[in-house]
Amino acid sequence: MRKVFVALTATTLVGSAVMFAIGPRLAGAQGGGTVEVEVKYNGAPVVEKLKVNKDTEKCGTETTIEKVVVGSNKGLAYAVVSAPNAKGAKPIKAVVDQHGCKFVPHVSVMTPGEMELKNSDDILHNIHTYSTANAAINKAQPKFKKTMTEKFDKPEVIKLTCDVHSWMLGWLAVVPGVAAVSDTNGVAKLENVPAGKQKIEVWHETLGKQDKEVDVKAGQTTKVSFEMKGK
Amino acid sequence: MQPGIRSGGPIQSGDPFGFPRTPSSLVDRAFGSIVLATLVLLGAAAPAAAQDVNAGKAVYERKCMLCHGEKGDGKGPAAELLLPKPRDFTRGLFKIRSTANKTPTDQDLLRIVSDGMPGTSMPAWEVLPEKDRRNVVAYVKSFAPDTFKEAPKKLELPKEVASSEASIKRGKEMFEAIECHKCHGTEGRADGPSRPELKDEWGHPVAPANLTRRWNFRGGRSRTEIATRIANGVLGTPMPAFLDAVEKPEDIWHLTNYIVSLGPDSPQPATLVTVAAVKDAIPDDPAADFWKKVAPNNILLEGQVIVDPRNFNPAIDLVSVRAVYNDREIAFHLTWDDPDETKGDGKSTFPDALSLQFAPQQPTGTERPYFLMGDANDGVYLLRWEQGKGVSEVTAHGPTKLTPMQGGEAAGKAVFKNGQYTLVMKRPLTAAGAERPSFQPRVFTPIAFQAWEGGAGDTGPKMSLTSWYYLRLEEPQSNRRFFIPPVAALLTFAVLGMLVRAARSRAVQ
Repeated sequence: MRKVFVALTATTLVGSAVMFAIGPRLAGAQGGGTVEVEVKYNGAPVVEKLKVNKDTEKCGTETTIEKVVVGSNKGLAYAVVSAPNAKGAKPIKAVVDQHGCKFVPHVSVMTPGEMELKNSDDILHNIHTYSTANAAINKAQPKFKKTMTEKFDKPEVIKLTCDVHSWMLGWLAVVPGVAAVSDTNGVAKLENVPAGKQKIEVWHETLGKQDKEVDVKAGQTTKVSFEMKGK
Repeated sequence: MQPGIRSGGPIQSGDPFGFPRTPSSLVDRAFGSIVLATLVLLGAAAPAAAQDVNAGKAVYERKCMLCHGEKGDGKGPAAELLLPKPRDFTRGLFKIRSTANKTPTDQDLLRIVSDGMPGTSMPAWEVLPEKDRRNVVAYVKSFAPDTFKEAPKKLELPKEVASSEASIKRGKEMFEAIECHKCHGTEGRADGPSRPELKDEWGHPVAPANLTRRWNFRGGRSRTEIATRIANGVLGTPMPAFLDAVEKPEDIWHLTNYIVSLGPDSPQPATLVTVAAVKDAIPDDPAADFWKKVAPNNILLEGQVIVDPRNFNPAIDLVSVRAVYNDREIAFHLTWDDPDETKGDGKSTFPDALSLQFAPQQPTGTERPYFLMGDANDGVYLLRWEQGKGVSEVTAHGPTKLTPMQGGEAAGKAVFKNGQYTLVMKRPLTAAGAERPSFQPRVFTPIAFQAWEGGAGDTGPKMSLTSWYYLRLEEPQSNRRFFIPPVAALLTFAVLGMLVRAARSRAVQ
């Protein structure tokens, strides 16, 4: 009985200490606002089709390389939208699956730290990153290795490739602040962005980078729109 | 050299990292010391001699710059002609390293400089004094200072497993489970389905290793070196690290043992092509058991670099020849590796081909036609096979002047399987006319070889070839060798017996 009491007290104390330590940060984040970012592109979509001649039972006989995906209302999908300087953001852990010989999702965001790589294809893939700030990796992920954990500490956008299936291409944005990827309507919501002036950045794999300054108000949704230009 | 460091450092060898004497060299020195300290902690061999970046630069500019470029970016004037491309040092990605991180040790770099990279244009610079080689390593490192900011971290390989039948079997299972064949091919001959698309990090095409040719392994053929490549991958290339991608750590060694079992340690080149005498009919089928009993002669080929277009990166460097004759015909069984069976599109790819070259008539003296497919005055006779066309006889007056011969009885058959051609070409032993050679036992007959990897763009003068070799037909087998020695022995004994008798009868008298 006594042991249980001691354990409970200890837990409470540790819990309070943790709350004390991170409480203000959480409160700060809750005091933020939402930024709804709309990314538009006036050009034509660029989606290349490719015949597949290997592992067709897993990869299919044809695949697409989605360089520019434009949805309804000229919304640009797969753009990384971020408030890189937003402090106290919730950590985002990316999970990238290698499925059907594609990186799913095609573009992911994460906060510095660990991420998970899945191989749900039951064939060999190798994860070959073209990172410069973080150590570049080229690791085999055979069929029996269903998940791998990798660490990316430094902010950058990392190109993911697989040498076994040369068409496979994915992007992983390591962002220190708040980040999201635009959907097929070109919309991404950044939640819990601290109030005040914030830089909002948009990055797209082929259309480049843009940024704007936005005044974020606590408890409100601020809308901002970007128009990406063809290169 | 930096006397300050030499006297004050823990090792009396001067600045072993040889940073240039710039105003920032204090920082470099401090960092150099950290790297050095780590090296010492790791137990890595500290360089014995001083390394001097400036001296290294002088060596580099004399010996390395033509390929690796003045700025170390791999864009020297000769780079265009080479495949694999010379290393771009500025990216700080080094293929061959014994370390767990991307920083190679000085020893790793020194070894590549000294021993070269087999199968590439990088020669062994052992001819240079060791001091020069160490200095050049220091200079090469100065192209990628960021890479060397991080100290080399020793790679811990799993506990070594000696080779055994069981280990090789397990290695084969793992080879299949982790799908090495995707690039290296089912039998390891670099003919996997992903091969044609492989690119290095610079976007240059890169070929997977042919695992049956250990002597061409870029980073060495020893078991530890092979295990290290599997565990570590090859930086800047598609070859990934497998250390955490095998079922059990010791599988790295089972894989190594399996790979070692795939081929001989060296090509064991022949100096003479021996043609064995047989009594039976000679089969056309290259896969027939008959051929397994014939000893191979391994012939090394080089790229043709005398006339344009030259072949600086020969795709075919070895042809294995098994040759036999009987009382009617002579036959050649040829084996060579080629990653793809190519008929060619006529633009960038061409039909695979191979030819055996002979003088039209047995030369009487030492004069032979020009080895590069003859010339305008002296033609050569070719026994030639071409993908899609089969075996034919050709007269050549130089590499671009080929004339098919009329008539003749040359025949043959080629089989392509798992990245390897096997081909049988045969023709009558004796030929009529002045254009075709006849073959006679015990006569040294000149022979030369040419091969084209059409998939790599070989055609016309762009080929792999040899200079003249000699071919010798073994004595025809006869029963005389079983008959003569016993008869000779019997006669000797008889004579001896008679002598003894004669001597005795004289003694009795």
